[in-house]
Parts: sequence; structure tokens; C-alpha cells
Amino acid sequence: MKKFVLIFLSVLLVLSLGAWQQADKNVTITYTNFSSSGGNEETLQQMYDLFHEKNPDISVNIETIGYNDYFTQMQTRVAGGTAPDCFELNIENFAAYAAKGVLKEITGVDLSGINPTALSAFNMDGKQYGLPGSFSNVVLIYNKDLFDKAGISYPTIDWTWEDAQKAAEAIKALGDNTFGIFAPITYNEFYKVSAQFGGSLFNEDKTAFTVNSPENIKAVKNMVERVTVTHVQPNAEEQGGMGDWDWFMSGKLGMIPTGIWAFPTFAENCDFDWDIEVEPGQVKKATHFFSNAIVINAKTTDEKAAAAAKWLAFLASDPDAAALRIQAGWELPAITDQNVLNAYLTAGKPANRKAVFESLNYLVLPPVIEQNALMADIVNKHLESAASGKVSVEDALNAMQAELEEKIKLK
Amino acid sequence: MEKRKNGLKNQTSAVPFLLPSFKGLIIFSLLPIVISFFLSLTDWNGIDSLNLNVFLKDHFIGFQNYVKILTGGEFFRVLGNTLYFIVLYIPLMLIFSLLIAWLMNKNYKGVSLFRILTYIPVLSSWIAASLIWKWVLAPKFGIANNMLSIFGISGPAWLQSEQWAMPSIVLVSVWKDTGFFGLILLSGLQGIDKTYYEAAAIDGANSWQQFWKITLPLLSPSIFFVLIISLINSFQLFPQVMIMTDGGPNGATQVMVERIYKYGFKYYEMGYASAFSWLLFVIIFALTNLQMKMQKNWVHYGA
Amino acid sequence: MLPFLWMISTSFKSRGALMTLPIEWIPKNPTFDAYIKVFTRFPFARAIGNSFFIAVSYTVLTILSSSMAAFAFAKIKFPFADGLFKVYLASMMIPVQVTLIPLFVIMNKLGLINTYTSVISPSLFRVFAIFLLVQTIKSIPDDYLDAAKIDGAGLFTTYRQVVMPLCIPTIATLCITTFMDSWNDYLWPLVMLTDRNYMTLPIALSTLNGQYATEYNVLMAGSLISMIPIIVVYIFAQKSFKGSLVSGGIKG
Repeated sequence: MKKFVLIFLSVLLVLSLGAWQQADKNVTITYTNFSSSGGNEETLQQMYDLFHEKNPDISVNIETIGYNDYFTQMQTRVAGGTAPDCFELNIENFAAYAAKGVLKEITGVDLSGINPTALSAFNMDGKQYGLPGSFSNVVLIYNKDLFDKAGISYPTIDWTWEDAQKAAEAIKALGDNTFGIFAPITYNEFYKVSAQFGGSLFNEDKTAFTVNSPENIKAVKNMVERVTVTHVQPNAEEQGGMGDWDWFMSGKLGMIPTGIWAFPTFAENCDFDWDIEVEPGQVKKATHFFSNAIVINAKTTDEKAAAAAKWLAFLASDPDAAALRIQAGWELPAITDQNVLNAYLTAGKPANRKAVFESLNYLVLPPVIEQNALMADIVNKHLESAASGKVSVEDALNAMQAELEEKIKLK
Repeated sequence: MEKRKNGLKNQTSAVPFLLPSFKGLIIFSLLPIVISFFLSLTDWNGIDSLNLNVFLKDHFIGFQNYVKILTGGEFFRVLGNTLYFIVLYIPLMLIFSLLIAWLMNKNYKGVSLFRILTYIPVLSSWIAASLIWKWVLAPKFGIANNMLSIFGISGPAWLQSEQWAMPSIVLVSVWKDTGFFGLILLSGLQGIDKTYYEAAAIDGANSWQQFWKITLPLLSPSIFFVLIISLINSFQLFPQVMIMTDGGPNGATQVMVERIYKYGFKYYEMGYASAFSWLLFVIIFALTNLQMKMQKNWVHYGA
Repeated sequence: MLPFLWMISTSFKSRGALMTLPIEWIPKNPTFDAYIKVFTRFPFARAIGNSFFIAVSYTVLTILSSSMAAFAFAKIKFPFADGLFKVYLASMMIPVQVTLIPLFVIMNKLGLINTYTSVISPSLFRVFAIFLLVQTIKSIPDDYLDAAKIDGAGLFTTYRQVVMPLCIPTIATLCITTFMDSWNDYLWPLVMLTDRNYMTLPIALSTLNGQYATEYNVLMAGSLISMIPIIVVYIFAQKSFKGSLVSGGIKG
């Protein structure tokens, strides 16, 4: 009998210990990300160390996974019901996850320090389902040496595509397999150039496609005729086997509109002088904006969700985290505090870094819809046939319009 | 030995031998496969939590996915692409694997090195292999077209050309898989009793006759194996297409599993992808069954 | 051979200097940077240890389970043998892309997420290995088995002492291919082993893939290092090819 009482007491003791531990407010959450893979794991770890110092009651178990199969893996875990408490999504996948109700609204944290345009990218029906962890945009990068050789002046912020075309032709005329410009003929370029020419992929309230509008025909002609008519851009065959960055780094390409994430690679590998400018516009200016969303799993408990919201808000807007990010050259923090951002201006090549911030005035958000990936694939297919020169731009866009109408449900 | 037996006869004694793999079959294979069949009757998107509600109330749509697939043109076009791959790939792969196995089975200096060299493509990751092949097949600067131009042939645009993209994929796949199947065939060759050749040599058979009368029949179980496996695998051709062409140009290299993957994990139509897979299953199963039936005509087990 | 040489050459290049025109076979400024990064970026030794443990267990289990099943299919008469074998084969015909999520849910229900068991246990059922061994065992003349039976050997003894030795060339081949498959397996461990402590080599290497750029030099250095164990297994297995028939045959 005594033995029994003893056991009973010790069980009670263990149970109460457990209860005591629960009363203690330590929370451990899991955060899964891809954007620190490929070289920024340490920066993320430093950010976490800072966070944990400020919030000793929250521990974050960080999982870093390579970009390639990240989404296959994440989808499996979400569907299997064991997704991490908070995780990262790229902008293309964000809409699908949010629309399917697997994300939790982010509440109870101060978001005032975050760039409102960036924030709005992850707001659906008035609910904030994600925060912009960081962002990147696209600028026009040009080879100064080639501009000098061709005896033409450097691009300015006021350039239109006609100016760019003239410069491209002058550089192409240098001969020796040199090309003027390289802009991919893809979905991503299309929605941006369309905006520059005053067009859009949809009508005002996003209920119908308008890809074959007169503005879009002009926009696509501008993209395609560089290859098929004036030939200042290499075609698929000429390009085969070499990426667009490789072309630029080989010194045989005058201009390339590409992401600011190219800076470190170009700085290391270009043995010629280069700089950047805001991308040319046409009817108006429009520049790309890419951001990854950091989100909370809908199935996570309220207690963990609150901790996760704190962690995500810290990642997105804490000035110290932002400073770490700028220092590492790991994209840009989507914050409004210019004092922190100023460090970026003097962080090395290229010289005209203020063009990165000037570009932010003309941001165009990707037109995210639920069936985003399918839409992008359909658009790409028809742009490819226009770029091959076998189909006229008008026919390609009409076919694109028809296929989009058939396969994609808009609200 | 009074009675000729076809093996050991004992019904219950097979159970312990089969048990481990049978357990594996149920848990890791049959159960998920059966679930995937039920999923093919739904419009499940592949993100919502997978539970009974998915089948019973939220997403059940009957055979609509199958109707949609079979009445649309995409399935048959993609099936055509896949069959085109198979028709080119299997004969080439088989001939080269046989050749390599035969060369590896000889006794000469450096055979060990040769064996390792032929296996290196198998070991290389698809990422490295496709990067280099993209470069070899680059239309303007690639080695392939430079070599062809020596003979006055102006080479095609390979991966960038609608006609040549699939043959290019075949070329790279043969290069990558030959070492693997060669190794399988080699183990078949190693199993052939040397006394057969000695006897044949005494009878005055030349090496060509030996190949046809001894090697080929005795190797037929291995060849049969390679045929079945490579057929199943080629219907499920996937990584090389994703990395090298992503289905392009203009859909010329879209194949079954590439579509299934994209529907399931990119377009979030997992129900549709499951139905696609089950139609693929029916085709592979029918062809495999046919091969199994035909094996009696040409596959010889034992002497 | 080219890709392999290119992998070697790339692994000694500095970041970025990867795709040049014309291609650079011998790096101008060879460097060990990539190798140093491989060893410092993530717990490399831990990843190798995990991979090794998993691949060896996986291979051993595959050989045992498959050879037993193959023996039953090839030499024991039992009802529905043909039908069952077809079910085994048919299970290879559904693409893993659509069974991935269901299988994940099952593993979750079994509580196997973040355990070595989750990646090792599928070795119990390897149709490829079973099928290959069936082909080999079928070729063994029945006389051998009858002889063993007359000597009073039970089924297990026959399996172990008569059939297995005659399968050595095939088993050697299977060791290579199974070890390689398990060693390189990527998607399944990625989904099952999310804890950093369980990380296998391919998963560690995959974290070199960034969203916008990949460090090919580090990736190639890592891939080369990860090829070494397979080559070692290959050479080892090759040895057993030589004269395996001599050591095989009937003992006692």
C-alpha cells in the first residue's frame, strides 16, 4: 500500500512539473524557408540570435531547404497536415495557398514600418495573409564600355524604349557577335512591358482577360521585334546553351534589364565597366517587384501563431534585422525607414544604386490569380511561338486570349 | 528422382519468404495507390488537408476527370510524345547496353577501369549532366554542331528545335542509362556457365554463332527484365525533361509525368493529376502484360 | 566522360566563373574555395554519417527481403503466384508524384516523421530487386534444388546455401544500384526528415540552390565528394564478380 502511495505521489509530482512547464511561457515554433539557401543561412541565424535576445520566451527552429523542390515538399506537408508553424512562399504560390484557406491571418503586430505597396501584395480581401520578408526589383544594367565604343550616351531615367532601341542598334553595329539588349520574352516581362505601354492582362475588375488589346500588341511587338526584325537581341538558337547573364558577363551585350540580385555576380565577374539605371518606359514607367511572403500555417495553435507573427514581423521590419540584410547583400528589406536603407547606396558596385530606390516609384505587382502557374505557362507558350517568328504577334495573342479564356476561371 | 518437378511444392512455406516484401507492398505501395485512385474521383487541389472529407463530401466529382482527359486533346498528344521517346530510346539503349556488357565481360587489361568509366554517366547527377549536354548541343557554339560542320553538315538547333528536341532527350537518356542496364546485363552474362562455350568451341562454333546460340538465349531472362523495367521507366520519363526543356519548345517534349507533376504540384489540380496517372497505369499495365505473355516465345530459363 | 571532367573542373573554379565562352576546361585560377565551403556550410560529416547509415541499412534490407520474395516467386509453387507477381510489378506503374502525399499521410499516422525508419523501411519492398532476382533464380536448374532436398535440406537451408551463392553476381549488381538509389534519394528524405540532425547528403547539397542563383562550383564539389562512396561500393562489388561461379555452385 505504501508503495502504491509513493508511486501515486511521484506521478502527481511529475504531472505537476509538466503543468508548471506549460505555465512557463516558452514557445518553440518552426520556421521553414528557402531564401537563405545558397549563401545566407548565417545571416538568418544572426537575425534569429537578435530576435531571441529581444524575445527570450520564443525559440525558433529554423529549417532551410533548397529552392528547387521547396514547394513540392511544402505542399506535401501542408496537405499531410503537418506543415511548419510559419514558412516562406514566393509570390506566385502565395495566392494559391491563401485562396485555399491554408494560411492564417497575421494579426496583433505592428506593420507600420513596412512598405505599403509590398504589404498590399500579400493582402487578400482585406486580410493580411503574408508579410514581405524582403524584396528585389529590376533595373536596366548596361555595359559602359560598349556604350563608349559605340559613341553613344548612357541611359537616363527619362529613356523610352525607342531610345533603348537606338542604342541597341548602335551597339549591335559594333559587330563581332555583339548584341544590343537582352530581355527575356516571358510572362514576367510581358505583364510589366504591357503596363509600360498602358495595357494590362485583365480588365479593370479582373473578370476578363485582355491580352490581345491594341496596347498589348504594341508591347509584345516591342519585345519580339528586337529578335525577329531588328535582331539586336539573340534568338533562341543563337542564345542556346548560354544564359542571359553569361552573355552580359562575356562583354558582348549592351543592356540587360535584370534583378538587383545580379549585382554581386556581375561585380565579381565583369572585367568591364558597368552601371545601372531605372528601366526605360513607354506611355508610362513600370518596374518589376519580386517579394517572398512569410506566412503562418492556418492549423497552428493561437499561442504559436502569436509567437510566429512576432517573428515574421521582426524579420520583415526590425531595423537591426534590416541592417543585417543590407550588410549581407541579401535582397532588400521592405521597410520605409530611409536611414537604414541608406547603407545600401554605398555598398559597392554599381555606382548608381539610387536607381534601385527610384525604381520603387513605378512598381507593378505581378497579377496574382489563383491559377497563376497555369496562366504563366499558357502565356509563355504563345510568346515563344511569337518569338520564333512563325506566328505573327496578333495571331499569337489572339490564340493566347482564347486559351486563357478556355482554361482559367477568373472571379 | 522419380518425379520431374517444376520447383518446390509447398503452399504455406512461401508465406515466410513473402511476408517482408508483402508488408512493404501494402503500406508503402498499395495503400497510397488505392488512395490515389479515390483522389482521381475528386477535384482535390493537393493543398487542403487530406482526410476522409476530401472523398466523401467536399470534392467528390465521380469520373469527371477521366471524361475531361479523354475528351481533350492533350492526353493523346502527350501520349504520342511519350511513345515517340520510347520507340527511339529502347532499341538504342538495348543495343548499346548489350555492347557495353559484352565489352565489360572480356578479360583484358583495363577492363576494371572501363567498367567504372561506363558507369560514370549513371553516377553523374542529372543537373550536371544536363548542364553539360545543353552546352554540347548549343546550336551555334556547341561541340556537337562544330563536329558536324567538319563533315560539312550544318547541325540542327537540337533542344531549341521542335523536331530535334525529343531526339536530343533520347540521346542524353541513352547516354545516361546505358551504363546502368549494361551492368544488369553484365551480371546476366556472368551467370552463364563457361562450359557451354567450351563445348561449343569444341563443336567448332565461331564467336558469332556462339553469341546467337548460347549468349542470347541464356541472357534472355536479363534482356526480358531490362525491357520490362525500361518500358515502365520510360513511360515515367521525368527529370531530364524538366531540367533540359521543361516540356518545350512549343510542347514538343511534354510527356506524361511532366504533365502529372505540373497538374499536381504547379497548377494544384491533384485530382486531375491522379486520373492522368491512372490512365497512364492502364496503358503501362496492358503493355507489360503483353510482354509477359510473349516471353514464352523467346525467354529461356535455365538450360 | 565530359560531364564528369566538367564537374571536376567547375569544382575548382571561383564563384561565377562557370559558364564562359569558350568553355574553360582548366580553370585559370584554380581554388579550393568550393571544397572549403562544402565542409563549412553545413554539418557535412553529420550528413555523410546519416546518409551512410541509411544507405547501408537500406541496401541490406533490400537484398534480404527481395531475395526471399524472389526465391518464393521463382521456385515455390503457391496459389495466385502469377497474380501476386503482377500486383508487385503493377505497383511500379503509378508515378510517385501522385502517391507522395497519401504516403506522407500514412507515415504521419504511423508517427514515423523525422525517424530513420521512414526512409529505410521502404526497402522492404523493392520490385526492381525482386524482379531481377526472380529472373536469376528462375535460371537455376531445378536439379540443384532437388539435390539439396534429397540431402534433407529445408527450404531456408536451400535458399541460404544453394540459391544465394548462385545469385552473387546479381546481388553484387543490386548492391551497387540499391546503394546508389538510397544514397542519392532526395525527395522522400526531404519530406520525411525535416530535422536538421537527420539531414542526408543530397538534402544538404540542395541547400546550395538559391532562388535566383546557384553556386555551381560548390554544388559540383559536393556532388563529387558524394560520388566517392558509390565508386568504392562499385569497385568492391566488382571484385565479387570475378570467379563468382567458382565459389558458387553446390556446397555439400
